[in-house]
Amino acid sequence: MDLETLLSYPWRIMLPEFVIVITAALLSLLDLFWKEQASRRPLAWIALAGIGLAVLFLVINAGQPVQEILYETFRLDGFASAFKLIFLLGAAIVFLIALDRDFGQQLPYQGEYYYLILTAVLGAMIAASSADLITLFVGIELLSISSYVLVAIRKHNLKANESALKYVISGGIATAVTLFGFSYIYGLTGSTNLFVIQERLSQGVNDGLLPLIALALLVSFVGLTFKLSVVPYHMWAPDVYQGASTPVTAFLSVVSKGAGFALVIRFLMVTLQGMADSEMILWENLAGLLVTVLSVLAALSMIIGNTLAMRQTNLKRLLAYSSIAQAGYLLVPVAAGIALLQTGEVSASNLFHIVLFYLAAYLFMNLGAFALVQLIGKETEDIRGLAGLYRRAPGKALAMTLFLASLAGIPLTAGFVGKYYILMGAVGANLYALAAVMVITTVISYYYYFGLAVQMYMREPEVDQPLTAPSSLNIVLSVCVIGTLLLGLLPNLALDLIQTQFNLLEVFLPYSH
Amino acid sequence: MSGAMIAFFILGIITIGGALLMLSLRKVVHMVVALAFTFLSIAGLFVLLEAEFLAVAQALIYGGAVTIIMLFGIMLTQHDDRDESRRPLHKLLAGLVSALFFLGLIILINRVPWPNQAGEPLFMENTANIGKELFSKYVIPFELASILILVALVGAVILAKQDKESPAKKEGDKA
Repeated sequence: MDLETLLSYPWRIMLPEFVIVITAALLSLLDLFWKEQASRRPLAWIALAGIGLAVLFLVINAGQPVQEILYETFRLDGFASAFKLIFLLGAAIVFLIALDRDFGQQLPYQGEYYYLILTAVLGAMIAASSADLITLFVGIELLSISSYVLVAIRKHNLKANESALKYVISGGIATAVTLFGFSYIYGLTGSTNLFVIQERLSQGVNDGLLPLIALALLVSFVGLTFKLSVVPYHMWAPDVYQGASTPVTAFLSVVSKGAGFALVIRFLMVTLQGMADSEMILWENLAGLLVTVLSVLAALSMIIGNTLAMRQTNLKRLLAYSSIAQAGYLLVPVAAGIALLQTGEVSASNLFHIVLFYLAAYLFMNLGAFALVQLIGKETEDIRGLAGLYRRAPGKALAMTLFLASLAGIPLTAGFVGKYYILMGAVGANLYALAAVMVITTVISYYYYFGLAVQMYMREPEVDQPLTAPSSLNIVLSVCVIGTLLLGLLPNLALDLIQTQFNLLEVFLPYSH
Repeated sequence: MSGAMIAFFILGIITIGGALLMLSLRKVVHMVVALAFTFLSIAGLFVLLEAEFLAVAQALIYGGAVTIIMLFGIMLTQHDDRDESRRPLHKLLAGLVSALFFLGLIILINRVPWPNQAGEPLFMENTANIGKELFSKYVIPFELASILILVALVGAVILAKQDKESPAKKEGDKA
């Protein structure tokens, strides 16, 4: 391949990624020449500017038809753009949380901290916008390895060390499991391109290879559940969420999880789509099996996450279990999508929009909650740290109440609307049992979310000083409040916006030359 | 039975034997040595498949670098560490599940109607072909992998670096 062919590819569709890479490289160089004792907070502002520029390019690219570079190892489609917007938004909020002045001063390796977040975002973006197993895998690994380092960066903190080791070991096992599944898929199809895999797998189904195909898909999926932090790979979440510094925890709970969902949805939906055309009974067997497994895992995540959260006394651990449950909710539309794949109803139903909507809602409510954890975490990370918050900082207590109500799914909040859509989606795909589990576990979750609210309003504070937040945290809190309220009060506006700006169904469109 | 078949069985036995020994040996150094046997015989299996580039890479990276670094890591830390905690029931269950999984896989794989090797032989210039694929079709993941290695390097430096100041007063420490 000569330079001319190389340049003939539409590289501009990768502009957001290039901006992030260049910003990360710039930060690492600046960090090198920065005065040794000087604060590195300006670096975070540069990172934020980079993210802003990437968002700009992303929005400019978003309206274009499906395009690809080099055999779809990179692809621009509405699905990818929408998810990348969420990741960049999440990363920007994480940077704002990390800009908290006191936090930055305690943080060793501040410069590295910032550019590793950027490389992690880059990995997430790649994992959302490729139709090739190799690129997808490298993207998700870039995200994982950056996250391992980010968790371990507080190396003089015993908890951080323990959790980083647990994270890297369980992550390594999960990666091995995923690769094992991928190797079977490659062995069966001889290709790493998802669209070629889709064609050849449906041939394989007709040739009687169904059990092996089901096994390959399931093993790959099980490995990927590590990123989603759903059962069976959920055990790392509480320890790692507690051990990592709060901005990193916030990053893991939203961006990393979102990248996992983008990858899982693209991988399962695209490879399975072709098989819906194969023999009826065989397809129903396969789809039935996958839907059952996904439903069981989603139900287990909701049950385990919500029941174990009740017994937690550490705020970050509690939010970790809550995030396991939230990932369980998000898995429901994926299962429903597979169930609806054959009839083609998946295009008619707006399951992808539901996933995106809930992820956006989750972004605001969860990052808002973590911003508050960052604020009170300076005193204690125990639940009692919230005691009397209403007296110490009424505005912040009200904001936190909103986030908790949204996480619990109380009407008029984003979380409620998202959950309602998910429930409707599950019922539409005849997954009644799953919908029932979701309702019951939601009611269970009220217990611990309200436990936190009780602390804020009814308990006496240990220190009576008013609690003031640095301006960056105030910005985060207000952005998250506005986001949660907007998505909750005007959900149709958001859904319309998603539908008109991002054609999520482009995920199914192979690029035609 | 052809010579290739015999070689395959010998290499296969060493591969699996090394892995089993690695699991059952008690001393960490012995474990790594057992693992080295597995790595090297996998390189041998690649030679049998006429993938000589992969074989050399496997021998260099796994047989050489990974094993040596693991040995260094062990030597520099607690090199007489022993694996003590053994839970027989847990082990039995894990063994049973793995055996079932293995049996299932064998049955499923044997059912696959493998097509005959068609067209040109596999071993024609496969090193050159790997290079061409890597630097044309897969250039995006390749470049990403270089960023990944950079991240891993930064991580290794952060974790392994001795901080000049004591942990208590390492505010803003950065070099």
